[in-house]
Amino acid sequence: MAEVGQIALTVVMGGILFAVATFLTRIEDWRSYRPLASGGGYVGERTGRTHHEEKPAGIVRWLTTVDHKDIGMLYGVYGLVAFAFGGVAVLLMRAELAVPEEAFIGANFYNSLLTTHGITMLFLFGTPIIAAFGNYFVPLLIGADDMAFPRINAIAFWLLPPAAILIWAGFPLATLTGGEVEPAQTAWTMYTPLSAEQANPGVDLMLLGLHLSGVSATMGAINFIATIFTERGEEVDWANLDIFSWTMLTQSGLILFAFPLLGSVLVMLLLDRNFGTTFFTVEGGGAVLYQHLFWFFGHPEVYILVLPPMGLVSLILPRFSGRKLFGFKFVVYSTLAIGVLSFGVWAHHMFSVGMDPRIRASFMAVSLAIAIPSAVKVFNWITTMWNGRLRLTAPMLFCIGFVQNFIIGGVTGVFLASIPVDLVLHDTYYVVGHFHFIVMGAIAVAGFAGIYYWFPLYTGRMYQKTLAKIHFWLTMIGSNVTFIAMLVLGYGGMPRRYATYLPQFAALHVVATVGAFVMAFGQLVFVYNLVVSWLEGPRVESGDPWNLEEDGMLTHEWTWFERKRETDLALTDGGERVEDPRTSKDE
Amino acid sequence: MDEQPGLSDEYRKASPWPLFVAFGLAIFEVGIVWPLFPVAVGGLLLFVGSVVGILRESGYIANPWKGLVAASVVCLAAGGLIALTTTGSVHLRGVAILAGGVFGSIWQPESV
Repeated sequence: MAEVGQIALTVVMGGILFAVATFLTRIEDWRSYRPLASGGGYVGERTGRTHHEEKPAGIVRWLTTVDHKDIGMLYGVYGLVAFAFGGVAVLLMRAELAVPEEAFIGANFYNSLLTTHGITMLFLFGTPIIAAFGNYFVPLLIGADDMAFPRINAIAFWLLPPAAILIWAGFPLATLTGGEVEPAQTAWTMYTPLSAEQANPGVDLMLLGLHLSGVSATMGAINFIATIFTERGEEVDWANLDIFSWTMLTQSGLILFAFPLLGSVLVMLLLDRNFGTTFFTVEGGGAVLYQHLFWFFGHPEVYILVLPPMGLVSLILPRFSGRKLFGFKFVVYSTLAIGVLSFGVWAHHMFSVGMDPRIRASFMAVSLAIAIPSAVKVFNWITTMWNGRLRLTAPMLFCIGFVQNFIIGGVTGVFLASIPVDLVLHDTYYVVGHFHFIVMGAIAVAGFAGIYYWFPLYTGRMYQKTLAKIHFWLTMIGSNVTFIAMLVLGYGGMPRRYATYLPQFAALHVVATVGAFVMAFGQLVFVYNLVVSWLEGPRVESGDPWNLEEDGMLTHEWTWFERKRETDLALTDGGERVEDPRTSKDE
Repeated sequence: MDEQPGLSDEYRKASPWPLFVAFGLAIFEVGIVWPLFPVAVGGLLLFVGSVVGILRESGYIANPWKGLVAASVVCLAAGGLIALTTTGSVHLRGVAILAGGVFGSIWQPESV
């Protein structure tokens, strides 16, 4: 195989390079932006129409775009595809868990799915779907022309598809190579020595993919920081910067400090696996070193995922309560406080590894302290709604669902932060229930709120409201049934990560499985609604489909939308508005 | 989606390079870690070539030759260092980077 394979590979690589070169000769004449030498940024700068050319058509437009809105859409589609992949993985796992013994997919495949579900949901769905909202809306909200570094923005996105291919490659390669390469079975934490000693080359692929996704997130974060600092419109200062941009800024700061560490850990792990280094071996740094480095990234990652969804809720919830966000300043302060504290709590993931008890106690104190800014936010959301004129549209329902699930997820987290409780509940389903309430119950639900809230803006159409509410109720019922069952299983002592279990846990596992399938059915409704409404939903007839103007809460992106609609109308039918009988306005 | 006359429509919003910068880096990484010699060399060429392309496009460098030669020299030095000081599979990886440097200094796509 060796020589023939090498020659074949060389030919393939040569072919690829030749194809790329040919492609580039056809389109290299494009000049996206004026060179930096001629004056730098575009804030407040109007260069006239001399540079205006249409974007290329068809698929090439999407492959070469550096427009923040297009890249936002790409991130969104990517995130939803990853969400579907991770979702299918978990449905297979829940099906296996419907019975105590190995019956359906087997323990090894279960382990692979467990690993890929975690990695996919956190790195390929969670982070990108937030970047989708950030890319599309931060420049619009702050009155910027585009992101500060549009090309870096595009590079950051295009690193993600190879990352997904590498992370998922183990599954097809296992079939193609007859089991020589297998999907990784390390769990998403990739603890050593397990991850260092599994000979399976699929683990290397996954680590590389994860590394690429980290590079992508870091590039995106630098871009957000630069954009929010330097590209704000003249009327936007720090005092009236919107809450979503504040959370994106804080999140980007966290990414900037956390993700490079993940990159380093992954490189060290790859070196240990392939190049004979001893970073995490017993004679070297040891397994606990790995855990410290991993969780120094891993815990800020939790807040990287949750802060922007909190920003979405803080932005959307007041708009359907008819009131301004209660205590705006304190919501911003709590965001910043969470950002700072998040770097001081990582060892609470390791209470049971045998640390110095004094260090352990200090981590417990900081972990408990982080509940305070989180609770400040919750109280502010509730007081915003208090005596408000609530309009229970789909985005509002999802925001309220977020608050509910976040309270359960948060309070269970406070218990886990306490050492004596943690020692009992560590590595049980209680932990799984806790973080799923946050990740699925809160983060994903806030994502849905954002998708519905801005649906009219990015499609020009309205979604089907009944289907959106069905989606909401199925998601809420499904998530609570599944995750409460997990909490109870954890109290009973059911350990995490196993494909099989003792018969005494069977009933609750069936409940959790049923809940998971209810949730999955809700997501089918969601996808159907999204696709059908995008193609044939009623067109919105105003730049303010949610009637925010009358409460004085119209934000920049809707004024941009109104301008865009007017330009579109002027271009298409000379500005004359045609009344559509299916026209939709608000609730 | 339709074209959007709006805030940012006053300049071209497309560039062919970011896609290849990203894919080049990914292909190079896989080639080095697995180790697949031709994949590493090809990925390196794609990555470095696209970086130079994007730098020229955005006006950071005026002449692509200088960028390519500088990148090749860096690859020659890094690859040479690894190749000289190691043996076995690590040596092979160093040679791959070295070969990328050699190719890069004698070949460039016409478009650049």
